Amino acid sequence: MSDTFRERSMLVIALVLAAIYLFPLYWMYITALKSGSAMFATPPAFWPSDPQWQIYGQVWESRNMGRYVWNSVVIALGSVAVITVLGVGCAYVLARYRNVWVDIGLFLILMLQVLPASLMITPIFVGFSQVGLLEYPRLAVILAIAAKSMPFFVVLVRATFMSVPQELEEAALVDGNSRIGAFFSIVLPLARNGILVSAILIFMQAFGEFVYSKSMIQAIELQPASVGLNSFMGPNTNEWNNIMAYATIYVTPILAIFVLLQRRIVSGLTSGALK
Amino acid sequence: MKRILSSITDGRGFDIALVALPLAFLLLLSGLPLLYNVLMSFQEVDMFSLGTLWRPFVGFENYRELFEQPETLPILGNTAIFVTASIAGQFLIGFGLALFFWTNFPGASWLRGLFLVSWVMPGLVVGAIWNWILSGDFGVLNFLLRESGLISGNIFWRSDPNYSLWAVVMANVWLGTSFNMILLSVGLSAIPGDLYEAAELDGANAWQRFWTITLPMMRSSIGALIALGLIFTLQQFDLFAAITSGGPNNSSNVTQYWAWDMSFRQYDFAKGATISVIMIVFVMLASIVYVRSTRHEVRG
Repeated sequence: MSDTFRERSMLVIALVLAAIYLFPLYWMYITALKSGSAMFATPPAFWPSDPQWQIYGQVWESRNMGRYVWNSVVIALGSVAVITVLGVGCAYVLARYRNVWVDIGLFLILMLQVLPASLMITPIFVGFSQVGLLEYPRLAVILAIAAKSMPFFVVLVRATFMSVPQELEEAALVDGNSRIGAFFSIVLPLARNGILVSAILIFMQAFGEFVYSKSMIQAIELQPASVGLNSFMGPNTNEWNNIMAYATIYVTPILAIFVLLQRRIVSGLTSGALK
Repeated sequence: MKRILSSITDGRGFDIALVALPLAFLLLLSGLPLLYNVLMSFQEVDMFSLGTLWRPFVGFENYRELFEQPETLPILGNTAIFVTASIAGQFLIGFGLALFFWTNFPGASWLRGLFLVSWVMPGLVVGAIWNWILSGDFGVLNFLLRESGLISGNIFWRSDPNYSLWAVVMANVWLGTSFNMILLSVGLSAIPGDLYEAAELDGANAWQRFWTITLPMMRSSIGALIALGLIFTLQQFDLFAAITSGGPNNSSNVTQYWAWDMSFRQYDFAKGATISVIMIVFVMLASIVYVRSTRHEVRG
């Protein structure tokens, strides 16, 4: 058995495994294109004979998706902004030193990372309603997501800062730069890619966030797409082609970003997650 | 004043400012709610006292009432089943895939990365897709199982109390397998190759190499991953909201969904807080295991 034959057959098996694994995704795209009757046919068609392309426009209009997606974008961008502004400096300091205080800080951050959102929402909701934050529900959700996701961001970005050689910063200090000057002109530019990838991961997480938005945003006009999808799926729904079209519109931008930046995202994730 | 200012632009104060601000933010928005949660679990909370901080103190009354409810033990049992089955499924399938993709062939790392789409998708979307796949009469899973002769009649995954929990487990295994696989791949690629060459020269077969080299070398990765799996599984909420809503009759309810349901469906915030406190203790224990198992890597 030659090596090329072995490699080819491995590739074929890998493709089959990937196809099986990604079947649910395929099924979402296919169902969205089926007509109402084709959807409930037995046996189900694995390739749509009569694709209904107009369904995307219909669902976008009838479910008012523009508003939902806009709210998701606002919430996701707000969370990324808060997390990046606060988290980058924290990650930098935690990467630069190695002493007891850094250990304690890291431990605290790792502990806060693991608190499940659905368990934290009760005190957050009651507390926010007492200080009046629920008057601004999207801001409340942004703050809650920021508190939840910042530890993850700090852990990832810290790994990036650790790979920036400290000699470069020291050289800048010797040349007369202040600490602030060296941070902004040397360290930040060198860590830019890692910060960007981590910010994209946070964006994807916040774009799909559900628990906080569902609990804290009562006004429909301010709800994000995840809550919209949830209210679309009643207990006895049979509009599965419309729901899958909704899901397709919602998830395709995220999948596109992921596939384009896959290599960077995976390596960024693996460098931080186990460290 | 000038000294403080110059310390912030060019000294120790710079580091302290950078770290103090985010830590204060985290303590305010995560630490404080955590304590408030404990406080609420000892109070009597209703819609009228929601706006005040000092409510009637009831001691362990909430805890006692909670464990007198008939559904408490079954839900705790469901949580145990959900966590164990999800972690076992994710880990075993993930490990199998990681071992397969470890044998380098062209395109292996790209294809492996592609699996991670299940992990970056919004949980609600994953739940919606599986809800449709698992549908009783028209679901594609029932069709495939019938065609392959594994079942004779349709299984009503979401509405049959015997299967509803497993419907969510299935979706959760799908969601988490890719993450397990990626992290296990990292662990595998860190094993030095000459160990295997030496073992091969000594005449060890593939099975022996797996048991005597791969598994022992992966011990710390596996420990960290299982602790991480426990943490992630206890965070899983979206799939329950999207597939079964904990039903029918609590047969697929787990604590993290139940706590939310208590507070935001039944408006019993004290019970919601009580369940949260109990579960957060569990999560904290798991995370201590996780932090300990990665401790040497954190320092390195």
